[in-house]
Amino acid sequence: MKFIKKNLNLFSLKRWIRNKPVDFIVTMFLMLLILWVATLIVSWFILEANWNVVSDNLDLYAIGSYPADQKWRPMIWMLSLSTLTIITLTWRRKGILQKSLPWIWILMLPSGLVLMAGGPGLIPVASHKWGGLALTLILALSSAFIAMPLGILLALGRRSKLAIIKYSCGIYIDSMRSVPLIAILFFGQLLIPLFLPVEFDINRVVRAILAFAVFAAAYVAEDVRGGLQAIPKTQVEAAEALGLNPKQIAILIMLPQALRTAIPALTNQAIGLLQNTSLMAILGLVELLGISRSLLANPNFMGRYLEVYVWIAAVYWLICTSMALLARRLEQELDPNILTIKSNEISN
Amino acid sequence: MRIPKSFLYQLIIAFIISCILGVLFNNLIVNLIRTGIGINFKWLMRPAGFALAETSLPYKPSDTYAWALFIGWINSLKVILFSLILATLLGIIAGTARSSSNLLVKSISSLYVALIRQIPLLLQLFFWYFVAFLSLPNTPLEPIGKLLSLSNQSLRIAGVNISVEFCALLIGLTIFTGASIAEVVRGGLNSVNRGQWESFRSLGLNERLGLIHIIIPQSLPAIIPGLTSQYLNLAKNSTLAIAVGYADIYAVSDTTITQTGRAIEGFIILLASFLVLNLLITGSMNILNKLVMRIK
Repeated sequence: MKFIKKNLNLFSLKRWIRNKPVDFIVTMFLMLLILWVATLIVSWFILEANWNVVSDNLDLYAIGSYPADQKWRPMIWMLSLSTLTIITLTWRRKGILQKSLPWIWILMLPSGLVLMAGGPGLIPVASHKWGGLALTLILALSSAFIAMPLGILLALGRRSKLAIIKYSCGIYIDSMRSVPLIAILFFGQLLIPLFLPVEFDINRVVRAILAFAVFAAAYVAEDVRGGLQAIPKTQVEAAEALGLNPKQIAILIMLPQALRTAIPALTNQAIGLLQNTSLMAILGLVELLGISRSLLANPNFMGRYLEVYVWIAAVYWLICTSMALLARRLEQELDPNILTIKSNEISN
Repeated sequence: MRIPKSFLYQLIIAFIISCILGVLFNNLIVNLIRTGIGINFKWLMRPAGFALAETSLPYKPSDTYAWALFIGWINSLKVILFSLILATLLGIIAGTARSSSNLLVKSISSLYVALIRQIPLLLQLFFWYFVAFLSLPNTPLEPIGKLLSLSNQSLRIAGVNISVEFCALLIGLTIFTGASIAEVVRGGLNSVNRGQWESFRSLGLNERLGLIHIIIPQSLPAIIPGLTSQYLNLAKNSTLAIAVGYADIYAVSDTTITQTGRAIEGFIILLASFLVLNLLITGSMNILNKLVMRIK
């Protein structure tokens, strides 16, 4: 109480107006603006918004037109993904859980694919029936899973001493980065069949994943290259002096450090990738944004644009923010300073 | 004679790459022969036959595909140029607001960046188009007399007609890119040594003058590369115009490909037009960079 009083006294209105008149006017103006916007938003929420278009269709947003009797499969997958996220973010973990968490994360993608597509003991579900948030997550995770190793290889290739590797990686990265994503996706849908043998037929979801992956790999490569450049030259020299061969230096010395430095940039890429899966809504997949488009075309929900968009935006915002938090957690885990503290604790 | 090992490696890799490309091109040619299309650019001179909603230069459906594509390219250039200017202004304001001493200003700009960057651009464009512009009344609103009129078809400022598609795209791109530019500007300002801030304050310069004369000039070398890549992103993102029905280069080539079936040629033209756009942006940014370096 005393503290607040003291501060109020310090920033007393008179002094504020006298010392910083512009600051005072700007603050008052912004206050009024915020008040006005807040009234508009609250009155829309209470008086105008009709959330039937959201509450009646929660299943559609989550899984699209996935067969109703099988809907537990994607539901379980998404539920375990969100549980895992919460566990990773909140628990101070020790021992077994700490060791097994990375492996559980790695297992999430294959288990998701098996649950969605069908496998041992599960009825196969064709990919054109996938949709909603489940499809968004599958698209983002699988293409990230392909793009990551491809991007690392491209980054290493671009730094290679062999001219052919260096220039072919460089050309690939630069040309991919100069083209808009929607063009890659559109021509992925259109051209991939043209470049494959006649009898080959791959479905739209796989084509989309491949297109996202080859696009994202170029961006991953540049971020990893940035990380590689940040490694002091002495590290390589020290490794050479220890008698490591170039392959060992790349895998044991350079990559771990480069990837750790690149985590913030790679996080932005991952968030961008998830957001960009929404582009498939224009190209005919019914992922999260696509399903909202088809809902808005339904005469029952005509004109309910704002409700749907606010809801979808909230879902995207929540996912992207938790991705950013997860990445920050990972960065803390891998921080060398914290690692040394931990090992000191152990030795003591 | 001893052949160096690295030379052998390169030979093997070149062989593998050419094998993969060869197989891909063989498939392509087999498929093209099978569908009877082939590759040529003669169709560019045939009449396009479709109307364009937005034309900066005279265009009628009987004009050639080449001319239609060029109009689309000009439309792209137009929306990129305007949103580039507006996004830069917005980004500078929001970025410097992040280091403001006013808590309210600071938190509004943080909220803006945190909100806009975590929501897909496409969703934002849908919002501006369907919610903000298409829900306007059919009869023009005229808040300040004849100078400005606004309806769900067009915006009219001082006699100049602007389509709502252009407006929605412009606002969406500006607000989205502005948030990224704000981050670039903030990073640039942070890259300036704290001592510089303290020195100008102790010399009695006020915040605004100090920012303009001391901090911003020193942060420019750190800001310009980030700005360039944001401008390139803006150019690429402008292809989402197709979602709001604005006739940019991508939308026109999409229509062209659907009509003619010339996917490969269409892709090549799209790539070339983007190459020119990118060169325009990086070229002018390089000139700017040189100017800044000279001032420094």
